[in-house]
Amino acid sequence: MKQEKIKPEYFGRFGGTYVPETLMPVLAEVERAFIAFQKDRARQREYRELLKTYNGRPTPLYLAQGLSAHLGGCRIYLKREDLNHTGAHKITNALGQALLAKSMGKTRLIAETGAGQHGVATATAAALLGMKCDIYMGTVDMARQRPNVFRMDLLGSRVIPVDSGGRTLKDAVNEALRDWTASVRTTHYVFGSALGAHPFPTIVRTFQSIIGRETKKQLLAVEGRLPDVVVACVGGGSNAIGIFDAFLRDKAVKLVGVEAGGLGLKSGKHAARLCPASTSRTGILHGSFSYVLQDNNGQIADTHSISAGLDYSGVGPEHSFLHETGRVAYTYATDSEAIAAFSLLSECEGIIPALESAHAVAYAVKEAPKRPRKNIMVINLSGRGDKDIFSVADYLGKKI
Amino acid sequence: MNRYEKVFHQLRDQNEGAFIPFAVAGDPDIGASEMVLKAYIDGGADVLEIGYPFSDPIADGPVNQRGAQRAIAAGITPASFFRLMKKIRRYSDLPIGLLLYANTALHFGYRDFCSAAADAGIDSLLIADMPPEEHGELGRAMSVAGLSRVFIVSELTPPRRMRMICGEVDAFVYVVSRLGTTGTDATLSGSIRTTLSRLRSFTNKPLAVGFGISTPAHVGEVIAAGADAAIVGSALVKIIEENLDTTDVLPGLLAKKVRAYKAATSTKPYNGRSRYA
Repeated sequence: MKQEKIKPEYFGRFGGTYVPETLMPVLAEVERAFIAFQKDRARQREYRELLKTYNGRPTPLYLAQGLSAHLGGCRIYLKREDLNHTGAHKITNALGQALLAKSMGKTRLIAETGAGQHGVATATAAALLGMKCDIYMGTVDMARQRPNVFRMDLLGSRVIPVDSGGRTLKDAVNEALRDWTASVRTTHYVFGSALGAHPFPTIVRTFQSIIGRETKKQLLAVEGRLPDVVVACVGGGSNAIGIFDAFLRDKAVKLVGVEAGGLGLKSGKHAARLCPASTSRTGILHGSFSYVLQDNNGQIADTHSISAGLDYSGVGPEHSFLHETGRVAYTYATDSEAIAAFSLLSECEGIIPALESAHAVAYAVKEAPKRPRKNIMVINLSGRGDKDIFSVADYLGKKI
Repeated sequence: MNRYEKVFHQLRDQNEGAFIPFAVAGDPDIGASEMVLKAYIDGGADVLEIGYPFSDPIADGPVNQRGAQRAIAAGITPASFFRLMKKIRRYSDLPIGLLLYANTALHFGYRDFCSAAADAGIDSLLIADMPPEEHGELGRAMSVAGLSRVFIVSELTPPRRMRMICGEVDAFVYVVSRLGTTGTDATLSGSIRTTLSRLRSFTNKPLAVGFGISTPAHVGEVIAAGADAAIVGSALVKIIEENLDTTDVLPGLLAKKVRAYKAATSTKPYNGRSRYA
């Protein structure tokens, strides 16, 4: 009996299941459970109902007239993923995977988190569904995302500090994977981004692709046509693949992924893996073959970004594929460009974006003025910025 | 007969299990690492298991992870590693297994890595994050270079998969004695006996048990439970970690420790027939 596959393990030459043997049986179990979950009408209804009444989906598509007028080019729409319950797109995936874990009879959730948004989302889903929950977080990230650390605590989850390596997202993934190899019987690892070993990139993409489907429907309703450009920030890449997925076949729609340029690509202190000026190369990290920032001996490089959610050496394998096929153009915004965009959106629109999402806004700041008024650009505003006010105040040298 | 076959046959004739100590190459630096590995050999190791340090060793516990960090901080490169391996090979003819993470070989180039490894006297590769499903390209390069394969099974591996993995292995089957990462435990998992007897029904190849074995008593237990070899890593790496300022005493300490582990390998139950193909 051949196991039914949800999708091939690879996106072109990227992806795969590069994990310790101990995890192979559970990855097969997750894949079987996901296939069953998708076919299970009762569970799908339960998920849709939660997305609507608990999450607040569909999230609005908002015409940002203030920002558009200020930049003086094309019209800019914001896909308001920041209005999801818990403040970012992450909850859509966390709820889906928590329900999936329940269907598998698991009683405990674990997750990695960088910015803390995925940690909060997973802790929220665990509280809602009555599951135990442990979140791994690098100590550098805990310091710069303090509000989210306390939110996880309030939600009844344990935040486990990770002090190895660069003490950021990559190191948190390492620890979560180590936990999982020891706890697979009771525990589901809720991957927060479209990365890791098969079937996770596909599972996360499937849950998050609702962002693009909603966007398409909403824009068709108000404008009667597709956008010219869709922009999203790319850390692991879940909000980006979530909004891009529905437009992949619409070749006239330009898709742009914005990575963290940190202190600039020449400084070496950045997290740009796919944009043309990057020195990254193909590698194997955290379960999949993809582009990875590494040194001359094949050790994984530590990265830098003001935004904890983009501060990661690898990238989801489907993004590497979309980069190589040229379907998505990858570029970057530096820390200072992201901070400027953060302030600009706050002042023009009364919306404080997450620092991650501010990278996508920074692209719009550069690109929108070059485009005619009749052009339409959609920015995936993946999260809200309340969590970032301490980092931004620090950066600007302000005391709060 | 390759080095592995020679050692396991000889031990079978003596009715003994093999003792396999592990160290991270280049820990705490290349020079001291050479002393460590030679001490293992002097103490009576039957096989050496050497880890190539990686920045993100997801299959390793904190002790081995810190060992890898020390080796990386001390500046290990593939070139200095292969030079170290050549020195060890000149010192001894015992089998050397290399444990590495996939990105190391990929970065170097699968073919070049395998031929450099074989050239340096390495006998087998175990890639911690590369199950047989992903082994195609590297596996071909290993065959060309004449490197043997080692794969891992655990108590969670379903029987069908066990049989598949046993078919892929040619040096020995690495049986993890507990779930999770490498490390030291007070007691051994009770399921190891069941796992070993199930594996024995699929293969005549040597079965080596590792992860969580820290005392000579554990070594005796797994050999008595039917294993052909016991692998000790973290307990030895911990000794290195505790003597970073006094590396001159390390060879003596480690050789003595290895001797104690090795002494526990003669508890093998004799079944009077050939167990290896």
